[in-house]
Amino acid sequence: MKTAKISTYAIAFLIILSLNFLLPRMMPGDPLTAICGEEALIEMTPELRTELMHRFALDEPLGKQFFVYLTGIVRGDFGYSYYYNAPVLEVVLEALPWTLLLLGSSLILSTLLSIIMGIESGWRRGRNSDKSLLTATMIMNGFPNFFIGIVLLLLFGVYLGFLPLQGAKTPYSGLSGLNLMLDIARHLVLPLTALTLSQIPSSYLLMRNTMITTLKEPFVLTAKAKGLSEASVRYKHAGRNAILPIVTTTGVRVGIIVTGALFIEMIFSYPGVGLLIYNSLLMRDYPILQGAFFIVTVFVIVANFVVDSLYTKIDPRIGIDGVEHAH
Amino acid sequence: MLEIKGLEVNYGKRRILHGIDLTLKRGESLSIVGESGGGKTTLGLSIMGLVEGTVRGEILFDGKNLALLPEKELRKIRWNRIAMVFQNVENALNPLYTAREQVSEPIVAHKIGNRDEAKKRAEELLNMVNLREERFYAYPHQLSGGEKQRVLIAMALANDPDLIILDEPTTALDALTKAEIISLIRNVCNKRELTILLLTHDLSAASMLSDTMAVLYAGRILEFGSTSALLSNPRHPYTRGLLRCYPSMTTTKDLQGIRGRMEFFDNGCPFYPRCTQSVGICREETPRLEENDGRFIACHRGGIIPLLVVRNMSKSFNSSKAVDSIDLTLYEGETLALVGETGSGKTTTAKIIIGLFEATEGQIFLEGKRILDHGRDKNFYRTVQMVFQNPMESLSHRLSVLESVREPLDIQKLGDRAQRENRVRRILGEVELPSTPTFLNKYPHQLSQGETQRVAIARALILNPKLLIADEPTSALDASTQAKVVKLLLNLQEKRGISMLFITHNLALARKISDRLAVMLRGNIVEEGPSNEIVSNPLHPYTEDLLKAAPTLSSNVPVVHASVPEVISKKNEGTGTGCHYASRCIKGTEVCFNEKPRLRICSSHKVACLNLNLKTENEE
Repeated sequence: MKTAKISTYAIAFLIILSLNFLLPRMMPGDPLTAICGEEALIEMTPELRTELMHRFALDEPLGKQFFVYLTGIVRGDFGYSYYYNAPVLEVVLEALPWTLLLLGSSLILSTLLSIIMGIESGWRRGRNSDKSLLTATMIMNGFPNFFIGIVLLLLFGVYLGFLPLQGAKTPYSGLSGLNLMLDIARHLVLPLTALTLSQIPSSYLLMRNTMITTLKEPFVLTAKAKGLSEASVRYKHAGRNAILPIVTTTGVRVGIIVTGALFIEMIFSYPGVGLLIYNSLLMRDYPILQGAFFIVTVFVIVANFVVDSLYTKIDPRIGIDGVEHAH
Repeated sequence: MLEIKGLEVNYGKRRILHGIDLTLKRGESLSIVGESGGGKTTLGLSIMGLVEGTVRGEILFDGKNLALLPEKELRKIRWNRIAMVFQNVENALNPLYTAREQVSEPIVAHKIGNRDEAKKRAEELLNMVNLREERFYAYPHQLSGGEKQRVLIAMALANDPDLIILDEPTTALDALTKAEIISLIRNVCNKRELTILLLTHDLSAASMLSDTMAVLYAGRILEFGSTSALLSNPRHPYTRGLLRCYPSMTTTKDLQGIRGRMEFFDNGCPFYPRCTQSVGICREETPRLEENDGRFIACHRGGIIPLLVVRNMSKSFNSSKAVDSIDLTLYEGETLALVGETGSGKTTTAKIIIGLFEATEGQIFLEGKRILDHGRDKNFYRTVQMVFQNPMESLSHRLSVLESVREPLDIQKLGDRAQRENRVRRILGEVELPSTPTFLNKYPHQLSQGETQRVAIARALILNPKLLIADEPTSALDASTQAKVVKLLLNLQEKRGISMLFITHNLALARKISDRLAVMLRGNIVEEGPSNEIVSNPLHPYTEDLLKAAPTLSSNVPVVHASVPEVISKKNEGTGTGCHYASRCIKGTEVCFNEKPRLRICSSHKVACLNLNLKTENEE
């Protein structure tokens, strides 16, 4: 099944793998600096240098270097951060759960919200409730996500003081169990809201549009004629059909939301991969940057793959061979 | 059960339905026919309460006015009492649910049964509509057009409704599937005593599925009556137009369209711009649907008017009767072909009508007014014109094309010189001739045969007559020229609504050009009726022989004038009192020589044959 699709993903993965290998080696200056980061130079001794040259096979031909790089990845070795003084994988994996929590919940929340808003808005097309929702979303669409983040931070964090200003949990609080989860949730509220708000407009507009088009489809009339309840016509018949394009764009949105998360994590000092990337960028900690990029791209590819597989589940017209059946 | 009174539907400022009145009793079947865009679907949807525009008037269903019912109440009626088989367009079924899911959905939604019961019932219904079992779980995109139509029908029956609205149930289906679907609908509806409202432009489906028929045009009903009567004898010009453009296996006349396009008017007859018999009042006042001879017609002129009526007309030369008390009726916009062998009195009939001969007896009415023998004035010739057999002889050699064609205008003193010339140019264009100065100044001998006949036709048409008598207009032409002239005449008929009395001995040609045929034998009309009927089911032996002798491309030589028992023939020769065909008739009996048959009505024909009784009795 889906051999064509899987091979597409495999090719994308290989390209990322090669870019991640080639880019530092193509940077001007000493490749070792690019691979190990500037922090490494401080402790650099000739012995260490030789050892590192040997470890990355930098004195060997490119092919050999690539092989060493690949075997490293297979072993889970993404390099060593001299800044954190820890293996890259360890550092990234420590940040990753927070990002996954923020991204995942925001992705689900924004998709659900924009679907419901789009369905209701499209159903009430031209009425006041539709118009005001549309206007509000358009205005919000004009603000960059970090701006929304800052406004939320100031309003709820600084002035009202309802919610924590930064971090993912209260440090050294010793909380556990349910209390820990509540604490995490409280920290999550603001970044999640900011990220979700910035994600809603585009999906909402698309949903509203497809809903309006779908409502003109003959099967909606059929459903109404069957005497079904309005909710059934709206969600089961029109909504289900209008969702399809949203699912496609959600896959694409994973990439965009990752960039969004980078800003949001910075503003709320949320200890995820975004903040990690930002800090590493300031420190020129190249190994972390490469490792983080690699893991994030793999994550995006996997997410896309999941969405693609989901699509065949919700639209019977896309066969299990992944080819659309024209009829 | 259903009574619609003064139903009006507006979409914004556009009025789609204008005061529709319809009644449908339980168990009846009514078809609404007409071109697309006439408001058929809107009518169906307004009964379901699903029309998006504003609805005025009453839709009484078992006494309840559906037009005023709140949405919640309507929802209870939908599918439980009134269901609809939607037009099988792309996505009439939801693409995301299987056939069975969609059929069982209304059962669950209306709480008629729980999920399992609904599933069971859906399976029964799908079985009943002959859907193969493995298709029950198929999605719409996996089903063929016919299968989807079956699902749509099963779905409509899910909640056992009383009234079922079928919206174009057979369009987009191939012929075999269509036949299956129609027989399925018929069986199901008979078994369940369903009331049917069929909305379609497919006249054949309507004829098979409905007892009564209403013709809907631009939001108004123009004709209403029993389906068979409307289809065999349309009385409104629009109904006739619909039949003329509908290719069926029994039509013989070339397909003709209806001129112009559908437009919506608030005042006046909606059909008047396209109607060829419209008069001043048609534009100003909307005609009401009035009962007329067993059916309802909305036409200021009472339907298609009889343009020419000939009653009891005879003509004798010395002692021999060339025309023997014939009756003819020619309706507006139709072609009546007068066929028969040479010497049967066809040309004499034509010449009497145009006034070249005087009738010995009988009356002629034109547009209801009696024409007296010497009463043919200029006005008469503005209405009636003739085209003769041999154009070379009927056009004066001494007149140029321009002069020949202009002559009627000169006689009638219509317009000044320039206007007349303009009209000549226009009419030449209509008959597909050039109107260059060179051509205008040509003389008949410089023209080809086809061109000469067109000039003759142009001359006949320049006064815009209502009736054109064409006496063998193409028999002097070769086949390809004949084809062009015939096409030209049919096009002119479509455009101007000219009635034609087309005289020919060529039945193969007559059936292609005429709506009705009258068969003449020795001055008598022996058979008359719709051309397709006469050609497919001739009742008079003479007509049968004419048909046998009509041109075919087969190598078999037709056998006509078959064996007549010589004894009988000899014995009765010369008495002249019996049937004129007796001596040549295979079915002739002794009585045929003694008794003259009279024209009698037999199904849709009129026929004069003594043996007919036997024949029809045997058939019955």
